[in-house]
Amino acid sequence: MKNILSKLSLNQKLGLIAILLGLIALVAGNPFDSNEVKVNIKDIALSTVKNSDKIKPETLAEWLIEGKSDFVLIDLRNPEEFEKYTLPEAENIPLVTLPEADLYRNQKLILFADDNLRAAQGWYILKSKGFKNVYILDGGLEGWKNNVLFPRLSSNPTKEELSQFEKKKAIAKYFGGQALTDSGEVETKPEISLPASSSQQKTAGAPQPKKKKREGC
Amino acid sequence: MNAPFFKFGYFNTEISLVIAFIIGIAFGFSLERGGFGSARILAAQFYLSNMRVLKVMFSAIVTAMLGVYYLGVIGFLDLKLIYMTETYVLPQALGGLILGIGFVIGGYCPGTSVVSFATGSLDALMYILGALFGIFVFGEVYPLIANFYNSTNMGVVRLPEALHLSYGLVVFLVVVMAVGAFALAEWAEKKFAFRNPENEK
Repeated sequence: MKNILSKLSLNQKLGLIAILLGLIALVAGNPFDSNEVKVNIKDIALSTVKNSDKIKPETLAEWLIEGKSDFVLIDLRNPEEFEKYTLPEAENIPLVTLPEADLYRNQKLILFADDNLRAAQGWYILKSKGFKNVYILDGGLEGWKNNVLFPRLSSNPTKEELSQFEKKKAIAKYFGGQALTDSGEVETKPEISLPASSSQQKTAGAPQPKKKKREGC
Repeated sequence: MNAPFFKFGYFNTEISLVIAFIIGIAFGFSLERGGFGSARILAAQFYLSNMRVLKVMFSAIVTAMLGVYYLGVIGFLDLKLIYMTETYVLPQALGGLILGIGFVIGGYCPGTSVVSFATGSLDALMYILGALFGIFVFGEVYPLIANFYNSTNMGVVRLPEALHLSYGLVVFLVVVMAVGAFALAEWAEKKFAFRNPENEK
């Protein structure tokens, strides 16, 4: 055996090593399966308590207006609900398909559904899969409706609240909503209808869907 | 610690540029030492008289493939995070054809032309200027060909999924293919030795 090996040239030896490694690969399995799931329970619990895993609807509204594109907005509801109404630039990934979704770990992901519950479930799934930048839209679409689309002025507003409300009004208008005051005429309407579907919003001057960043040579 | 390091945030974009610079220099140096700075040797590949390009490329492919595969298997490297170009069948076939024709005519591919210019070769400079001009023309006519450019998109395709084979089997087959190609290359070099530019003088 030693004789045969010493007769081979360096190139032939390297070729032999490659073949051996290739043979081992036949039984070594799928390299995509080996990503173990490790959950840092303390880290998850702490970020939940500190609320550092939540994004306020007002903050998100500002980001959307500024055209920030360093995050991906994910709608966890069903496709039918998504069709009816969603946030500008949101992608629809129903919760059941989230574990297999094609997401990148270096992206900032903001999850939302009708309220916090489903988003929190999605948040846990992604966290357990090693995603670091996962956030929940605080209050979900309900929170978006109450704080961005139809902000409400308290009955006895201070001066500061009043000036902030002016800004909120503009933001509400931008997204097709309307600010409400306690004595206002909109208040009489029993039901608040959501603004028309996202496709119409986009023509109304909402930020254009962002291009996927490409890399490579 | 896990790889890819950049995707896991071990360093920022500025540092990544420094690292890219260092790797780039090493890459260029290796290409030059591998003989890729000579248009005569590169072009001889197409006349089967000097198989250096095939040997170097296949060695690199097999080494990288085995490394990536085993690092993925032991869980060090997250293969999902490695960027893969999407497949556009027709545009890429046409682009490959154009590149191949340019390779035969000019004796360089874009990377090796830069390597060759670094060794002081003037024909490589002309090649680079031509490539830059081609890039400019492409940019100008892009709106006209955008439809074709984006056609027949298959998304990210990997061999194991496309062929319905296991990853290990594909790794093995590529290794066998490479070793077979090396053997064929040795045979061809002997057969066409009379027109090998390295045997002249």
